[in-house]
Amino acid sequence: MKIQSARDLESARREGLIKIQPGRPRIGVGTSSCGIAVGGMALYERMKKIIQDEYPDISLVKTGCIGFCKEEPIVSVSIPGKSLVLLHKVQPDDAERIISLAMEGRVPQELALCKIQDWDHITGSLVHGGGFDGIKDYDEIPFFANQKKIILRNCGLINPEDIMEYIGTGGYFPAFKAITSMEPEAVIEEVKRSGLRGRGGAGFPAGIKWEITKKASGEEKYIVCNADEGDPGAYMNRNEMESDPHMLLEGMLIGAYAMGVHEGLIYIRAEYPLAIERLMVALDQARSLGLLGKNILNSGFDFDIQIATGAGAFVCGESTALAASIEGKTGRPRIRPPRLTEKGVFGRPTDLNNVETWCNVPVIIAKGASWFSSVGAKGNTGTKVFSLVGKVDNVGMVEVPLGTSLNTIIFDIGNGGAQGRRVKAVQTGGPSGGCIPVRLFDTPVDYESLNKVGTMMGSGGLVVMDEDTNMADIARYFISFASGESCGKCVPCREGLKHMLLILNRLIAGKGTVKDLNLLKELSETVQKTSLCGLGQTAPNPVLTTMQYFKEEYDELLEA
Amino acid sequence: MPVNGRKRMVTITINKNQYLAEEGEIFLLTAMRLKIDIPHLCYEKALDPYGSCRLCMVEVVTCGKTEMTPACTIKVHNGLEILTDTPEVIKHRNILFELYLAEAPKSEVIKEMAAKYGVTKTRFLKKIVHDDPLLGKCILCGLCVRVCSEIMGTCAINFINRGPFTVVNTPFYEHNPDCAGCAACARVCPTNAIVFEDTEKDRVMRSWSGTTVPMMTCSSCNKPFAPEKLMHEIQSRLDPQINEDIRNMCPECRRRYISRREMKIPIT
Amino acid sequence: MDERTLDEIIGRYPYPSGRTLGILREVQIKEKHIPMDTLKLVSEKLDTPLSDLFSLVTFYSFFSLKPVGEHLITVCMGTPCHVKGAEKILQSIQEHLGLSGDSSDGKYLETTPDNKFTVEIARCFGACSMAPVLHVDGDLYGYVTPEKIPEILTRYGWKR
Repeated sequence: MKIQSARDLESARREGLIKIQPGRPRIGVGTSSCGIAVGGMALYERMKKIIQDEYPDISLVKTGCIGFCKEEPIVSVSIPGKSLVLLHKVQPDDAERIISLAMEGRVPQELALCKIQDWDHITGSLVHGGGFDGIKDYDEIPFFANQKKIILRNCGLINPEDIMEYIGTGGYFPAFKAITSMEPEAVIEEVKRSGLRGRGGAGFPAGIKWEITKKASGEEKYIVCNADEGDPGAYMNRNEMESDPHMLLEGMLIGAYAMGVHEGLIYIRAEYPLAIERLMVALDQARSLGLLGKNILNSGFDFDIQIATGAGAFVCGESTALAASIEGKTGRPRIRPPRLTEKGVFGRPTDLNNVETWCNVPVIIAKGASWFSSVGAKGNTGTKVFSLVGKVDNVGMVEVPLGTSLNTIIFDIGNGGAQGRRVKAVQTGGPSGGCIPVRLFDTPVDYESLNKVGTMMGSGGLVVMDEDTNMADIARYFISFASGESCGKCVPCREGLKHMLLILNRLIAGKGTVKDLNLLKELSETVQKTSLCGLGQTAPNPVLTTMQYFKEEYDELLEA
Repeated sequence: MPVNGRKRMVTITINKNQYLAEEGEIFLLTAMRLKIDIPHLCYEKALDPYGSCRLCMVEVVTCGKTEMTPACTIKVHNGLEILTDTPEVIKHRNILFELYLAEAPKSEVIKEMAAKYGVTKTRFLKKIVHDDPLLGKCILCGLCVRVCSEIMGTCAINFINRGPFTVVNTPFYEHNPDCAGCAACARVCPTNAIVFEDTEKDRVMRSWSGTTVPMMTCSSCNKPFAPEKLMHEIQSRLDPQINEDIRNMCPECRRRYISRREMKIPIT
Repeated sequence: MDERTLDEIIGRYPYPSGRTLGILREVQIKEKHIPMDTLKLVSEKLDTPLSDLFSLVTFYSFFSLKPVGEHLITVCMGTPCHVKGAEKILQSIQEHLGLSGDSSDGKYLETTPDNKFTVEIARCFGACSMAPVLHVDGDLYGYVTPEKIPEILTRYGWKR
């Protein structure tokens, strides 16, 4: 069946809703990569067998990840008319009991993490119901209470391998609205007015980039999604694609319509097999419903998306290296200009946006630019997803309005250091970012404020460090990473980082002198100022920030 | 914009002095013509700017702010303002020279160039040169790779590995039958790192895993004079074709043959 | 890899974007490395210079030219893993398997003399919440400690 009219879409929504709320118990098992790794898939298989054999009246689905990684495997139980209950740290042996209780309209109380009475899917909303008085409300869990889920609106709640569930929550309605009732220019205008900035780290206004691409000369153009999430310690994009792939596809579809582009590409890391698999499934389903391909929604507009896999090179996050990689070349950045919007993949004008940037687009169209820009801070609108990892108690994926302070994220949501240790610093922006000491944790997380303290937004990894972490060792770790990922084209990055690493090794071995420390600083500045691309230009940041904020730790390393 | 096919001349400022320059020209070339000294290693007129050696970095002044940019990537436009010798430029350039001295410790070219700018020592650990087919002289500017692929269309050599482990060589470090033996790589190399030699019958590209290309022998004097593959390549592109008599002659014999013919001296 | 299998793989990539790396990725997954002969065959079939392909497979860390042993152990070296002791995990594995830890081309990949285990490192799996993590033949192990290493290795036929 192809969706060709508002009526078709509406009946698809009703069909999807019945899948989410089937009028009988429904059990969802978190099966994104991390859920699977702690036993989610084994649990799913176990449940599947029990249900097949004994309880055919229960609906069982795989869901994505709700973000509370520390509590995985997470299982959701939905009883008709009652709150949706999240169970945590579920073991395969719990399967039988969860199922038999669900049949009686109950849940195992001691496994319950919290309950959800109603949920705002942003593009739609769902009322689950009441009951389960002994179980805490979703908003009473500090990890969830301080978050605002816009991008992660469906993650962990719907089946990512079923397009109908996405439509059931109001998905593809924004695309329908844009394509059938808005001029392309009006779509761009809406995105511009929303203030949405690139979520890959640089923060360039997305609407303006779209406008430049639209105006670029050339008949054939590309839009590309950068899903080569390379920052060590960042896995937001993986989770977004594994948990809700259609929000990405819909964002790209709306963008393609606005820019008048017919070919889309998703450049994704080869290290994310599950995300690739789920994207493939999602693409096939979207094509079969006529949401991709020829004559989309009977509008005459054609657009399709292909997947291109990376092969392990952090530098391919740089736009020109990424384009080269798609073309089947080594990812060595070239000098700019020309920018990709002028001369991108195979020489054609190309719009490149990060996964999360695309995921915001359906919401902007659904709720309007004013609604979107009311979230977050001035000039930093909307939310951002972070992977809160390292030595923090509540490890997980968190989404907060831009402008939220590091204190809120690390102490309120993250509950401070793991195992009661004292938090010392946090690294943002991966190898390109810097380490911020705990005394600066009142810094609001926005593009400009992070730059001011010597680091950057990056794609969203927040690695927490505690009193046991040695900051010079952290600096060495990042330089070793950046040197290993350097493409080798320009001398400051190729040779400069290598010598920075050698000096750091000398210092950490206790064989360094004040001269070494000074040379390290001097060299850092040259690498920053003279490297060809962003990798080299930002690679010294971890060294410079740790030298600035934790100088005493370097002094302690010096030879007596 | 060209007016009547001629380039438009615009005013630019270099180190506070004003000059007239051709609009759209690569600034490095403008500076060279104006005898303003900017060191560089990876620029070659026949190829697009590559921007890898970073030695030609200068400061571009825009609205009172300066930004370090390689001179080979700047296009001349009206009002362009450049500073080539600020303390900032010199400071970073000197460190780059130190990095080069450590990376290519055997290169006389690098030593001389660095010395010209006052850098005679490096504080960085020098690379240990051991069995290096490029003799400890390669600075990975990429000119050989680009000439081989972009000008010659051969693609016999390429970068291998990445980051500090990058080298240039043939695939699998083996004799590469794709090589035409043109030795353009050796000619374009700014540090004379590439070694080849002509033996009785062959041209041996010593730096490229001993890639061997047979030489064509002169049909007149029987001496080898050019790689066979290269000669065939050239001959196939010539129009009209060279006369059969002199087709396979070395340039010297060919000259003699033609002059004798013109002077009507019997050819033996 | 035989020619027919390669043709099948190539047939799956009708579009130019992502083609070369996609094909090589499938070769790597199937053969667990990139055999020299296969690379030469790919060069002929795609009409791409061998030097370009060799440059690719030595540039991207996903590819390996060296064959791997029976079991492939990949230790994640992402930041969260690092701050939680990934270095010690790697060292422990190397000690138990008697490996040196050396690398000459920037890609660490070492195989035991009996060809039973190959150890490599990865920059980040994106499984940071369970740091430190490692893969053995695609099975993910989270919250690893050096003490757990012998037990994990034993599952794959390692004997003390």
